[in-house]
Amino acid sequence: MSVGINRYKCDLRELQFVLLEQFSYAGLAGKAPYENWGEDELKAVLSETYRFAREVLGPLNSVGDREGVKMVNGAAVTPKGFREAWKGLYEGGFKQLAVPSKFGGQAAPEMLHVAVEEILSGANIAFNIYPGLAWGVGELLAECGTPAQIDAYVEKVFNGKWGGTMCLTEPHAGSDVGAVKTRAVKQADGRYKIQGTKIFISGGDHDMTENIIHLVLARVEGAPAGTKGISLFIVPKLKVNADGSSGESNDVALAAIEHKMGLNGSATCTLSFGENNNCYGELVGTAENIGMSQMFRMMNGARIAVGLQGLSLASSAYLNALEYARDRKQGPHFSKFKDPNAPRVAIIEHPDVRRMLLELKSTTEGIRALVVKLAMHRDYAIATKGKDDEKAAYHQGQVDLLTPLVKSYAGDEAYRLCGQAIQVYGGAGYLKDWPVEQYARDAKIFSIYEGTSHIQAMDLVGRKLGQHGGANFQAFMNDINVFVEAQRAHPAFGKEAEMLGRAAEAVTQLAMAMLGWSQAEKMDLLVLNANRFLTMMSQLSVGWLLLDAGVKAQAASIRLTKGNQESSFYEGKVASALWYARNVVAGIRAQADMAALEDDSAEKISDAAFGGS
Amino acid sequence: MLFPMKILVTAKRVEDPESKIKVKPDGTGIVPEGLKYKINPFDEIAVEEALRLVAKHKGETVVVSIGGKEVHEQLRHAMAMGVDRAVWVNHTGPLDQMAIAGLLKKVCEKEKPDMAILGKQSIDDDQNQVGQYMAEWLGWGQATFASKHESLDSDAEKSKTPALVVGADGKTVKVVREVDGGLGTVECTLPAVVTTDLRLNQPRYAPLPGIMKAKSKPIEELTPAGLGVDVAPKLTVLKMSAPAPRKAGIKVPDVATLMQKLKTEAKVI
Repeated sequence: MSVGINRYKCDLRELQFVLLEQFSYAGLAGKAPYENWGEDELKAVLSETYRFAREVLGPLNSVGDREGVKMVNGAAVTPKGFREAWKGLYEGGFKQLAVPSKFGGQAAPEMLHVAVEEILSGANIAFNIYPGLAWGVGELLAECGTPAQIDAYVEKVFNGKWGGTMCLTEPHAGSDVGAVKTRAVKQADGRYKIQGTKIFISGGDHDMTENIIHLVLARVEGAPAGTKGISLFIVPKLKVNADGSSGESNDVALAAIEHKMGLNGSATCTLSFGENNNCYGELVGTAENIGMSQMFRMMNGARIAVGLQGLSLASSAYLNALEYARDRKQGPHFSKFKDPNAPRVAIIEHPDVRRMLLELKSTTEGIRALVVKLAMHRDYAIATKGKDDEKAAYHQGQVDLLTPLVKSYAGDEAYRLCGQAIQVYGGAGYLKDWPVEQYARDAKIFSIYEGTSHIQAMDLVGRKLGQHGGANFQAFMNDINVFVEAQRAHPAFGKEAEMLGRAAEAVTQLAMAMLGWSQAEKMDLLVLNANRFLTMMSQLSVGWLLLDAGVKAQAASIRLTKGNQESSFYEGKVASALWYARNVVAGIRAQADMAALEDDSAEKISDAAFGGS
Repeated sequence: MLFPMKILVTAKRVEDPESKIKVKPDGTGIVPEGLKYKINPFDEIAVEEALRLVAKHKGETVVVSIGGKEVHEQLRHAMAMGVDRAVWVNHTGPLDQMAIAGLLKKVCEKEKPDMAILGKQSIDDDQNQVGQYMAEWLGWGQATFASKHESLDSDAEKSKTPALVVGADGKTVKVVREVDGGLGTVECTLPAVVTTDLRLNQPRYAPLPGIMKAKSKPIEELTPAGLGVDVAPKLTVLKMSAPAPRKAGIKVPDVATLMQKLKTEAKVI
């Protein structure tokens, strides 16, 4: 059926542990608003998704990478097999899992949704970007659209009939979105004429759907400068007829497809709107100049999705490297390195390979726990809304706080960890015969798109830390302290819990120092340390969640006979927790010490002193 | 016109071939801990074929499984794929092929389907006997190893066309079978038992909405006693053991040595 070979790997046992044993899915299952969602459904959905991922999406992953997207007669032609995969994805209902039932979806909890998305992304990230954006368009319009817009667009982009994009970036407006120049001119009939060029538009054109709904940031004539003068428009590729069918061209031209380092199966497009003065859009909702806040509803979901993408590739890179390390024989065991006749061993027996594998294992598991924790807070925020406002505010606060961590830490680590997976393979990993080099190329973009790592760091220190008078951050720290107090005397994890407590103090100290810098007008120090702070807080979260998993795994393993598959699984969770605590959490304080040096050499150095010519 | 078809299919719970299967040290069976289970892949092909037939002819599909409560997982999977309802024969303990065929015969007498479609064998102990026993005892026609001429990449497969062809009067079925050295065709009077081979079709994914719908589809509980079947095994498994591990190969210096070793040590020439 498919042309390539599947390389995607996922450990369903681990997914089930995180969902069912670590974060109590049972607390949500079967209760409003998730009445239909029990543990059996969760397991069935995960295993069926994994099957679809391995059999349909996975084999197309390297095909997409090698073939890329071609521009033929002004239209994007996706790699072989993508069209059928799109059809299968929606027929199987995989993308409608968390769509509200009123739009024809299954209304599943977010916890399950992120697990399913991890699998879909990991199997073929370039492919999954197209339906992911269509989903985002549906979510945004469901929330911000007028009733007529909801009727006209939402179900069609949720069920895969139409595609979707978000058009923010322009040649001069990347991270600086406020510089958007695309113009919108209001017409007598209430529509707007759109004119401008957008770049880096993922899925900007493709051949998998009859129409594509672009959400375009543009400036209405006479609007205020900067982000306060930006409005959001619905601009379909083909004009939509009164009966809902797709009609004639709406003057949206595909100008180019980028040639990239990775994600070659995903069309990154330059789109030209209104070259023939015949491109029309409608305002999302009824008000002008609120485009940025509307777009941010989509951005938050997109940022979590990037974290998931990072997790999914790092995790598959780990499982592939692990399989290779068990299979590949090279060199004698280090204890016999002087004996030329010593038997060759599988490279997993070499200590440094074990170290790399355990780092891959623990870091991906910890990031997964962080992603699922965020999703759990989203579910509880929805489940408690209107019933217990205090609880709902707590849960929503944690979602807001953790979003930049998930986006950035998972995104940044993915590239490093995929590189490390290549290292496990040695020279073979650098070859296209194995999947990890593609993973590394695909993963680099995660620290850039949907807001760079530094934008996430500034979001964290500039907005999220102080949000609600710092209540979200305090609640987060309080949760960690409760854990530390409870586990301080634990026979297996007591020392590591203490270490976590000290790391939490270090993070709090740096947060206070940053507050001091901003009051003392030392903004440069705040900016220079923002990424460091985000990393520290991410490592603290991941270390905490891994220890929490370790404690639970150890308790669950007591009743099992040592050496069987289940007890080995739990033993692995304990090892992940201890490794990360001793090798990463232990370094958090040192980073705080560095920040306390108030080093501003990067600011002080003159441009000329950077050298070069 | 097309006559509606009532089709009974089976869904045996078997060990997932991707799990690592270990034999217990005392040889009494396999280690169940940590194993994953799934619907027998041949049965899954049977379910797919039944769904295609009923999509074409209208009618009803019923899935049967025998075992403890855990077989609900396989029944639900078949219903998530689209089967209408399920029959669960509640039994724990060993069963031989005669007991299984006896139970299925009784279920067929009760349900009176036009056709029973089963996997030709189950991948756990690969006996390939149940369908044949069942047809014999029911006095029905049988067509084993059902397959088709078209490849699994063909348009007929993509459009989910059923491979089994029911006669215009709704009284016969034509089945292409895998036989030694090729394909043969048989025609059976209905009701009949058909067992499926690997290349009959490519089973669909259980769509996620189907998984949710399967929750509310009925599972009827029956017991061997209620069906009046004595399931005491007539076949006893004495001992189970893993195949001997493959021995490491050796290198020989030349062809002469190879020939000599093949003659004197391997004794194959």
